[in-house]
Amino acid sequence: MKPPADLEGSRALVTGGSRGLGLELCRALGRAGARVAFTWAHEPSDAKAARASLEAEGIEALDFQGSVSDSGHVREVVAALEAAWGGVDLLVNNAGLTQVLPISLIDEADWDEVMDTNAKGAFLFSRAVLRGMIRRRAGRILNIGNFSSERLVEAPVHYAASKSALRGLTEALAREVGRYGITVNLLAPGLLEEGLGAMLPQHRIDEYLEQCPLRRLGALPELTRIALFLLSADAAFVTGAKIAVDGGV
Amino acid sequence: MADERLLHPTLSLCPVCREAIPARVIEEGGAAWMLKRCEAHGPSRVRLSPDAGWYERMRAEERVQAAPRHLRREIERGCPFDCGPCATHGQRTRLPIVTLTSACNLECPICYVHNKSEDPFLMGREELAEILRHLREEHAELELLNFTGGEPTLHPDLLGMLQMAIDAGIRRVSICTNGIRLVQDEGLLDALAAMGVRVALSLQSYEPEVDRAMQGASLLDTKQRCLELLEAKEIDTILIPVMTRGLNDHEIGRILAEGLRRPNVRHVEVHTMTFTGPGGAERDRGGRISMLEVLERIEEASGGTLRVEHFLPSPCAHPLCYQIAYLLIDPEGGAPIPFLDFITPAEMREVMSEHLYLEPSPRLEGLLREAIDRLWAEGGQERTLSLLEGLLRRMFPRRPLERQASLAIAEQAVKAVYVHSHMDEETFDVERLAQCCDCDVYEDGRHVPVCANNVLYRDKEARFMEKPRSWSEGRRGARQLPILTSSQLEMRSPRLPGGTEPLGEEPA
Repeated sequence: MKPPADLEGSRALVTGGSRGLGLELCRALGRAGARVAFTWAHEPSDAKAARASLEAEGIEALDFQGSVSDSGHVREVVAALEAAWGGVDLLVNNAGLTQVLPISLIDEADWDEVMDTNAKGAFLFSRAVLRGMIRRRAGRILNIGNFSSERLVEAPVHYAASKSALRGLTEALAREVGRYGITVNLLAPGLLEEGLGAMLPQHRIDEYLEQCPLRRLGALPELTRIALFLLSADAAFVTGAKIAVDGGV
Repeated sequence: MADERLLHPTLSLCPVCREAIPARVIEEGGAAWMLKRCEAHGPSRVRLSPDAGWYERMRAEERVQAAPRHLRREIERGCPFDCGPCATHGQRTRLPIVTLTSACNLECPICYVHNKSEDPFLMGREELAEILRHLREEHAELELLNFTGGEPTLHPDLLGMLQMAIDAGIRRVSICTNGIRLVQDEGLLDALAAMGVRVALSLQSYEPEVDRAMQGASLLDTKQRCLELLEAKEIDTILIPVMTRGLNDHEIGRILAEGLRRPNVRHVEVHTMTFTGPGGAERDRGGRISMLEVLERIEEASGGTLRVEHFLPSPCAHPLCYQIAYLLIDPEGGAPIPFLDFITPAEMREVMSEHLYLEPSPRLEGLLREAIDRLWAEGGQERTLSLLEGLLRRMFPRRPLERQASLAIAEQAVKAVYVHSHMDEETFDVERLAQCCDCDVYEDGRHVPVCANNVLYRDKEARFMEKPRSWSEGRRGARQLPILTSSQLEMRSPRLPGGTEPLGEEPA
């Protein structure tokens, strides 16, 4: 599928972009002609590999290390991009983490870390880029949710809660900033062949497949194509939406 | 007798002529004994357990009813003479065993199988292919296959044969070995590591005299070197000591500690000494040790960390054949925690019913989750909860691991101690045989329970014997189980002193 033409020259920031879906989003945006920046938190080697793999395709990406839940880091990233590019047109709140723990073993620090990264991080980055977007009366925010936020699957409670929070954030923010032509949407992937899908025990995968009408796991390009659509002018009349890309679970 | 109580009748073998003869298992003086009389060779008795109550409780344990899919033999002469299996067999083969060669580089005095090192039998690929084809017919999923001998590492095409089993889809391929060739040929070890083959290493002792008495050679350095290499190359390993009263039973604690300490050792499988085959049959019966006594030695040696009640019989076999304890390992080196300290016996039986060796499964995952919730809700076992939490956090760290890496962490966190009691001519009990899940598998599709094979079948084969023995034409076994009528329960044998009655007549 040909990438939307209007992404050429747009300025995109992807949080948690050094691997997995985040890296593929950077790659897809870069291929569509967008200028790309990403954040990463923990593994310098991942960031280095991500830069190299993007550079190999001629995509010059800026990257910033820090936690999405650190407001100082968020301010610095957005200020740096304002200085370098003059603003951010597209924000993808992708950074997220999970833990496979039952509620009995989730302590307060676990809860805070997951909620801070998955929900607070999206709030902080959205607020930081919105000042420029409101001034320019344009912008796209795409939050990466998860099918576990409301589908009937077992998921760690803090993770499910954080992804549900993203849905609320998406709907409320879409209503609030729609008047400026800014769209806010939620992309909720199901299990993919990569990431969680490569890590769960096989019987969990089988359980998913049993509930999935399409009887297969998703692939990263199937996510990135829809993400690009939601970030493009083609989706100008789509806001506050949750798009599930999960095979129909 | 006034002070004896019948526990159950059965059919056994005459230790001399190995004809099937009725036997009674009785309680006498608190112990369980098997009494029998051969018309030709007189009476004999053997103590099966020092505690008849334990014997009865174990025998009453529920087992999985899983009849073999294909019957390979008609009932012609009766159990145990129609193995193949026949319609009296009540269990499918969980651990198929393939004898790759009759050659061995040792002549262990304790060896209970017949081998032939001159002009040895060497299995060919065509024969193995047929065996694998039959196994696929028999099993929906091929979990285990164990290669043995002789000494399987002497087979010139060992790696090719192992690869065939792996290619056939068997998840855990293992070889039983004395380790000598592995120490001599690190390239072989590298190949085994690359193929993911599990090594079951015999390990009898740490004492030179005991080592020599049991294996007829000085192998202490070889075994230690082999253990070091297996660990260095991260090869999944099983330690197999044969417990013999008065020889190495005092070393069980050290052997268990070795197994717990080395991260590549998955479990320790203790066999009780069995007096059959070329070496065993000639040995002093004073070395006989029952399964319960091994469990008691383990309890004593572990300082009570691993107690008799931490073991459960495998529901996949006769309960008097396998006792199993699973342990949660402390990565910091603290004492392991038996599963039965945090999972109920009923729950453990349920997951142990699925496989002979515990495998990751939805039910096991569910049980562990329920155990975590229970420990948390009820309190009082903080260390167990902390170990389980640590395990989950290692399996699912911030940077996600691939599924196999998570499983490897889970495998290293759990170890098992198996106590496996084989039967010999004296302890032979067709009730146990009919529930056997360890079978030697053959090219023609036959599955023969290992105890039947060791005692009766193997010495009839030219591939294992220079002078194969022949079957008695008049042999008669049990045509159905239960095997004895009420009138036969009236049978009485004379009371005899001591552990084992010397037989009145010389072998025919």
